[in-house]
Amino acid sequence: MAKTDTFACSVVTPEGVAAETEARFVVLPAHDGEIGLLHDRAPLFCKLDVGRLRIETPDENLILYIDGGFAEMVNNQLTVLTEDARRPDELDREAAEKSLSEAKSMSVTDESSFLARQRALKRARVQLRLLQ
Amino acid sequence: MANRRVLVKRRRATQNIRKITRTMQLIATARFQAAFKRAVAGRPYTEKLTELTDRLASATTDVAHPLMRSPEATAPPLLVVLTSNRGLCGGYNANVLRSAGEYLRGLESEGLENRLIVVGKKGNAYLQFHGYEVGEAITDISDLPRYDEVEPLASRLMDDFVHGEIGSVHVAYMKFISAGRQRPVIEQVLPLKREFEEGEVPESSSEVEYEYSPEPRELLAELLPATVKIHFFQCFSDASVSEQVARMVAMKAATDAAEDMIKRLTQQYNRARQTAITMELLDIVGGAAALE
Repeated sequence: MAKTDTFACSVVTPEGVAAETEARFVVLPAHDGEIGLLHDRAPLFCKLDVGRLRIETPDENLILYIDGGFAEMVNNQLTVLTEDARRPDELDREAAEKSLSEAKSMSVTDESSFLARQRALKRARVQLRLLQ
Repeated sequence: MANRRVLVKRRRATQNIRKITRTMQLIATARFQAAFKRAVAGRPYTEKLTELTDRLASATTDVAHPLMRSPEATAPPLLVVLTSNRGLCGGYNANVLRSAGEYLRGLESEGLENRLIVVGKKGNAYLQFHGYEVGEAITDISDLPRYDEVEPLASRLMDDFVHGEIGSVHVAYMKFISAGRQRPVIEQVLPLKREFEEGEVPESSSEVEYEYSPEPRELLAELLPATVKIHFFQCFSDASVSEQVARMVAMKAATDAAEDMIKRLTQQYNRARQTAITMELLDIVGGAAALE
């Protein structure tokens, strides 16, 4: 019995659909580590971290930088909701370096400013790593 | 013959105006299409987010989140007014500002202190002129607002709300209903209204057993700020679509009016010209008759 081994995958941002494709294998940057998804996965709903989303389609490997958000997998349909999704070639090295140095010089006075600094640092570092 | 020259001059001026307003109409049309496309492109995100929130809300019992608590009487309500940076868009700004003004007067009559954030040069000029205290003027948001331009403001307002510095957040803007209809509205963004009715959750999704990570309650706490932000962003993008529609309509009307005027002036000019010719002929005929 021929069985398809792909599932639908879409990445949605407030400004539009960033990617919509058939995928064989997807790695999500979940809040507590990476999660790999194959077709027929049990329904999943998880929170995402800033990080690298990897989509293996039958023809190519797609890599996206995503800025947190949520992922839902149900009935072989994966939906990734994120505030920002960009391909590595859409990232700006100078801007990322600038935001890294800005993040480093952010003052930490309480818990929320600490978290804001950590988040900004992480964002810049993930972008720079993807640019390498 | 001075009259004829004046008519020619006026006709030429009107033709120039028509040229300009027609160009502006075309620009507004192009921008409207771009803005509309963006607004439509953002819809899947909003729909999915709402769907997920609804499902989670039905999966968790006893939802209590700082963004949902009812406003404290001591904290002043905040109104964000969205207007345009540029004019020549008919009643667009006037309508938004009128409804915002009514709302503010309502608050004043109840003796409530309020805070204002005004987006757009037009709104700032108007409200400052009328003696309102504008807490913050924002004029650097582009015609086609991007999510990352709006997001920092939304986050800041949420912080202020959670810390009790503001009691509620309302947005006054022009809601885009269809290309032919826009309505000025005042919408409550914070505190979040609890809209999820348990019965409304689609049946297919309630049957599915999800694997949640982290716990539904925690997920919901993360989802709610995202829904507030997207709501806020939608207000901005709706406002920009409405603005372009309003400009398109206003410029179309201006072009039509210019066309009418050109027609009238041409008629007047032709009549004046014919009169002048008749007079001249009468002169000649009269002169010839006198010689006989």
